[in-house]
Amino acid sequence: MRISEQAKQENRARILEKAAEIFADKGFDATTTRDIASTSGLAVGTLFNYFPSKETLAMTMVTEALGQGEEDFLRRRSEKEDLAEELFLFIASGLRRLRPLRPFLGPVLERSLSPFPRKNICPQGEATRLKHLSAVQRIISRHGFRDAPDFVAMTMYWSLYLGMLAFWTNDESPNQEATQALIDYSIRMFVQVISGVDTGAAHAV
Amino acid sequence: MRFDEKESNEFPSLKRLSKVLPVYPDADQAMERLEEMLKRISTQKTPVSSFSRMWVLGSLQAKVAVAYLACWLRGRFAEAGEKERLRNETHLSAALQLLGAMGYLRGAVMKVGQMLANLPEVMPDEFAKVLSTLHFEAAPMHYALVREVFLDEFGHEPEDVFALFERRPFAAASLGQVHRARLHSGEDVAVKIQYPGIVGTIRADLRNLRLLLQPMRMTSDWPNLLDKLADIEQMLLMETDYLQEADFGKQLSNFFTPADRIVIPRIYRQYSTQRVLTTEYIHGCHLDEFLASDPGQELRDHFAHLITAATLRVFYRAHWLLADPNPGNYIFMDDGRLGLIDFGCTRQINDEEWELQLALEKAFLERDEIKMNGLIARACLYNSPEEMGAERLEIVGRGIRWQMEPWQTEGLFDFGDRDFFLRGVNNFLEIARRRYTRGMPVHIWSTRFILGARAMVFRLKGRCDFRKLYEQESNHT
Repeated sequence: MRISEQAKQENRARILEKAAEIFADKGFDATTTRDIASTSGLAVGTLFNYFPSKETLAMTMVTEALGQGEEDFLRRRSEKEDLAEELFLFIASGLRRLRPLRPFLGPVLERSLSPFPRKNICPQGEATRLKHLSAVQRIISRHGFRDAPDFVAMTMYWSLYLGMLAFWTNDESPNQEATQALIDYSIRMFVQVISGVDTGAAHAV
Repeated sequence: MRFDEKESNEFPSLKRLSKVLPVYPDADQAMERLEEMLKRISTQKTPVSSFSRMWVLGSLQAKVAVAYLACWLRGRFAEAGEKERLRNETHLSAALQLLGAMGYLRGAVMKVGQMLANLPEVMPDEFAKVLSTLHFEAAPMHYALVREVFLDEFGHEPEDVFALFERRPFAAASLGQVHRARLHSGEDVAVKIQYPGIVGTIRADLRNLRLLLQPMRMTSDWPNLLDKLADIEQMLLMETDYLQEADFGKQLSNFFTPADRIVIPRIYRQYSTQRVLTTEYIHGCHLDEFLASDPGQELRDHFAHLITAATLRVFYRAHWLLADPNPGNYIFMDDGRLGLIDFGCTRQINDEEWELQLALEKAFLERDEIKMNGLIARACLYNSPEEMGAERLEIVGRGIRWQMEPWQTEGLFDFGDRDFFLRGVNNFLEIARRRYTRGMPVHIWSTRFILGARAMVFRLKGRCDFRKLYEQESNHT
């Protein structure tokens, strides 16, 4: 029996919802595709029609959350921000949408975003990385940079961003405020590198 | 340098370094080890300002406490011979640089360290200015970071919480910054916002400082040093709790009526959390701006009177020390009223301490020297003046008597008198140099408070009838 597009979307949404619950409860590594399929009311084989692997499923959650974060960022941006502030706003908006996933996100990000050589690269992770860097380059270009930052600068940014994500997934401070300070510090350092300008003084009294 | 609970990957790791230090029964060798370590660290490049957070200690208490610590360290080295002393000075500088490497302490410690390095030539005016200008600096937060704090604390953006919210801060605060805003009901308010992650930073930095000073654990001063560090930590952490500050402010407002001409800003509790404090906005200026307007003596005296009256009111009625008397906490209002802001650092005097305070006042006013000496010894945790020792008794006693001079003086007391202020400063430095700092914990706070407050009225060059105010406030029922 052919399933309608609407039903497909509903299944997909239910899978994502139930998977998030189980991941939060059992942890990412301990959760099996059978667990997810079962709570979603689907056969494992059917689950694979939607998501070919547990990693892809989890990364889809991440991608969608970051996508919502980018929408939030565009809505919140006032165009009065300097570069460091705008980059901070972009990253912080994304993290705020990722917050419900934080309890199980460590292993997910490690598997899907790891910069180290791997046999199988997660396509979803790679797509997320490219989308994020593309957004960062658009932000940078809005602040008067005629040329895009070179490969070294963007690699440096991505390393910083992964570091922030890693710190954030381990951050037990209230509302992960230690991460907020780290992002602030890291972004100022990155902007200093690409522009040679100290952005701290601009916000001082 | 920033460290967290896990082993730092930065070189050199203080934790790693302190672990390789052997436990020597001989303290001198332990000190040598400290010197070697400091020598290594002093050759490390410190991050340049554009890469580091140049936070400065906000509270005068904490700054003076660090000065105490630095003086104490200096005194420790001063006992050695000349050759050793020269070598030790280098290491003291390195130690101060290391203290300065602790993010938010950097600016203050560097300034205090430079000043102390010039002892005994530092002039009282310079001392007063340094103490009073170490305030107005904090890590600047851009508006995007402020918004994140609001989303975490209130679940809403600043523009949704307030009718109007100025994106740029108008003042720095210890550990944060202050923005102007307007409530939906129309009142102008000041919104103080704390920089994220401060509590963790303070705890981690002080933990690492204790690790750095581990070689001193073999010396008899170690428990005292730990007490001092615990004191600094307690003071700094108190300032991070804005809800506690809000409670203090509310209680404080009950002690004053409009006739007193002293304004405690109204606290808006429903717009305050642990990291955000919203209070009535007080119009006026701080000490520097007031002095720049070249006020006449009458106006200087007027504000000296109000500052003293406010302090004594709180002390005698509530048994509180407003432990951070720096110029940033006083607002000189255009209509002649005095605004008191920032109650982050407050010390309650307990019954035992209060009883001793009253006994000291009585003995001093009655000029009962024998009784005074007994009480001074007790305040310094000795059983008797004999146990305390003549030299220590004389020097510490001289300081306590200096503190109490205004109590004894009839008529106007001139806090702007340079000789008077110089005597107090010199005594403070001498006590620190000789490490005669043993005493009931409250006297560490009260000494710092008095020194800080007097530094301010010294700069103000104000006079007031202290004795009359004291009698008024201490006899209030």
